[in-house]
Amino acid sequence: MALLQISEPGMSTAPHEHRLAAGIDLGTTNSLVASVRSGDATTLANEQGEHLLPSVVRYLPDGSVVVGAEAKAVEVSDLNNTISSAKRLLGRGVDDIKTLAGNLPYTFSSSDSQVPKISTVAGDVSAIEVSAEILKALKNRAEKTLGGDLKGVVITVPAYFDDAQRQATKDAARLADLNVYRLLNEPTAAAVAYGLDQGEDFDEKIIAVYDLGGGTFDISILRLNKGVFEVLATGGDSALGGDDFDHVIAEWILQQLGDEQENNPTKLREVLVEARRVKEALSDADKVEVSLGDWQGQFTAEQFAELAEPLVKKTLFACRRALRDADIDKEDVMDVVMVGGSTRMPIIRQRVGDFFEKPPLVDIDPDKVVAVGAAIQADLLAGNKPDTEMLLLDVIPLSLGLETYGGLVEKIIARNTTIPISRAQEFTTFKDSQNAMTIHVLQGERETVEENRSLAKFTLRDIPAMVAGAARIKVTFQVDADGLLNVTAEEETTGVKSSIEVKPSYGLSDAEIESMIKDSMTNAQADMELRKLREAQVEADRTIEALDSAMASDGDTLLSADEKTKLLAAREALLLEKQSGDTEAIKAAIKNMEKTAEFYVARRMDGNIRTAMAGQNIDKFKD
Amino acid sequence: MSLDFNKNFFELFSLPIQYSLDKQRLASRFRALQAEYHPDRFANASDQERRVALQSTGYINEAHETLKSPRLRARYMLELKHVDFDDERDTTQDMSFLMQQMEKREALEEAAQSADPLEAVDAIAKQVKQEQNELNAEFEKQLSQDNLAEAKEAVLKMKFYERLANEVKSLQEKIEDEMFAS
Repeated sequence: MALLQISEPGMSTAPHEHRLAAGIDLGTTNSLVASVRSGDATTLANEQGEHLLPSVVRYLPDGSVVVGAEAKAVEVSDLNNTISSAKRLLGRGVDDIKTLAGNLPYTFSSSDSQVPKISTVAGDVSAIEVSAEILKALKNRAEKTLGGDLKGVVITVPAYFDDAQRQATKDAARLADLNVYRLLNEPTAAAVAYGLDQGEDFDEKIIAVYDLGGGTFDISILRLNKGVFEVLATGGDSALGGDDFDHVIAEWILQQLGDEQENNPTKLREVLVEARRVKEALSDADKVEVSLGDWQGQFTAEQFAELAEPLVKKTLFACRRALRDADIDKEDVMDVVMVGGSTRMPIIRQRVGDFFEKPPLVDIDPDKVVAVGAAIQADLLAGNKPDTEMLLLDVIPLSLGLETYGGLVEKIIARNTTIPISRAQEFTTFKDSQNAMTIHVLQGERETVEENRSLAKFTLRDIPAMVAGAARIKVTFQVDADGLLNVTAEEETTGVKSSIEVKPSYGLSDAEIESMIKDSMTNAQADMELRKLREAQVEADRTIEALDSAMASDGDTLLSADEKTKLLAAREALLLEKQSGDTEAIKAAIKNMEKTAEFYVARRMDGNIRTAMAGQNIDKFKD
Repeated sequence: MSLDFNKNFFELFSLPIQYSLDKQRLASRFRALQAEYHPDRFANASDQERRVALQSTGYINEAHETLKSPRLRARYMLELKHVDFDDERDTTQDMSFLMQQMEKREALEEAAQSADPLEAVDAIAKQVKQEQNELNAEFEKQLSQDNLAEAKEAVLKMKFYERLANEVKSLQEKIEDEMFAS
């Protein structure tokens, strides 16, 4: 790169440097990484040819981690140390966990941190750290495949993710040492993957993206106009996914079994595994044989449709609501994009098609479509396609507001407002000489404080003494392009300005992140030291072995008793140092051994030549 | 080129300062401004440039939201004429208007309990929409005659109608969901 580049806007300086970029779909069940190579966006496979990385992380006693299929394989046998579905915990507070924890097999530790931690043999870990391990694995895979460092990534998040969950995702990326160009809503990524902006035969086009993953459901209504993607509305359910469909089948099996199996976790797991198999088999068949132990049965697509009806309906409600929020009629939706492995279920395709009155788009693998779209966007943001006009405009998924009197919430920024956005609102004091004011930031659609999610609470102090109602407290909300919020407050009338910035309560504090990064660096350092020590120890063994074998072969003929004693003393010293665990000391002992043996080596070289000439072979002292 | 924050929202969107709105123009100008200033256009730029982009699009989005909404647009036009709004205290003193609002809410509750709730609520929705339009026209008329106090009164009443319209909408949703579920 030249030190200084001058170019007209829109003109790229040739030749353009291709920046390596990737799109990451950080999923609840599986994660993927994709990149644009020679113009094509494709997901990247590991050495075994697998594209999906199970979002499972196992912690081992020595502090090392195993990510993916290998971790998933031991999930049942090492339940406490193998974390899956960490995405469900991202951005959740300690209180949320109390309601969620009943369904989770992990032990949560009580700590001072706002972020709940799971106890493992390698210490306490947060969902952010677990997610960072998954991101690291994908980063390594991408850098290995692409042959260089990633300049930046686009990470997808459910459109429904609130501020704390987005912040947590970004924190995880920071821990994984990734430069995040942008957090992108998963449905938007899917629309990009289908290249729905490419057609020329329309001015404006409305798209619905129906995304049913393992653990979450999202519906988004997008508008496309001349390369600009606008998210008009999003909705969904962050606790509804394919797993719930497994559960309805599992419940049916348990009913058929008829005995008290509910309290047997191993049995329950077997039932769930079978339920999942049955669900997947129903994608290609109208009826499936079910067997569990001695019991045999049959389950039909019709039965499944009936049992799954409440779940399907729940998703269709959300579709209706999103259409209404977007102020769009069903008939105006031109394309329906299917995302997430669960949309392989014929019942889902059927019902969604009926609802929107057109067959949904299913051509791109629903597991990969989000990562592919993210890769296209990452390539664009990296500046590899300077001529592309595509622009993605996102909206904020949930309203942001402040607590006012009576425990009510005053909305400052309504949901589905295009971001980035900043908005200010003025408040005043209600008592004479009131010198402080508490500002409570909330997210959600409900009217009372208790029913919304508390994001932050802080106090503006040092308000100058004034009569009630005279002070003007300006509270400013700023939401960036990733949907992350920053709140500042200041008193304006007297020119005295106090202001404070807040981060969501459920994110990690900067100090926590710093210490985690430091820890991971210390760990990396420790890993390197350990490797050096191992290398030195191996080298020591090799040196000793070589000496032993040399002395065994010609020690008696080439060495005097005195010389032998000297060499054995050096050998003894090296053996002792080898056990010390001090890399430098071992290296010094090896050096000393070599120096002591120099004369012997020289003597053997002579002997070596002679024996070589005699057609015999002798062990070399040094290789 | 950097965004001129001194421009008012109408100037930013190259629109005349008037209450009636050219929605097509607002939409196309919005996309053009976004295409130029959005932070994604500065993904590889310096931190400072990215901060500027964030502020620029923040301003553009706020302008867009304000102009799009009939109430916020009206309010903004008055603010351009140095009419102050105090969100916590300003409210209409028109008692007969407030009585009317209460009656409408009661009517809404009754509609929800009627034999055909959806039709009854839809009828109220239509009426609310019509009265909102009348209120917008009232604002435009007062503003054109430079009756700022009356114009402000209309804006304050718009807020009541906005809340009412939201209630109607959520009630429609609730009824539809119940019908859909049964």
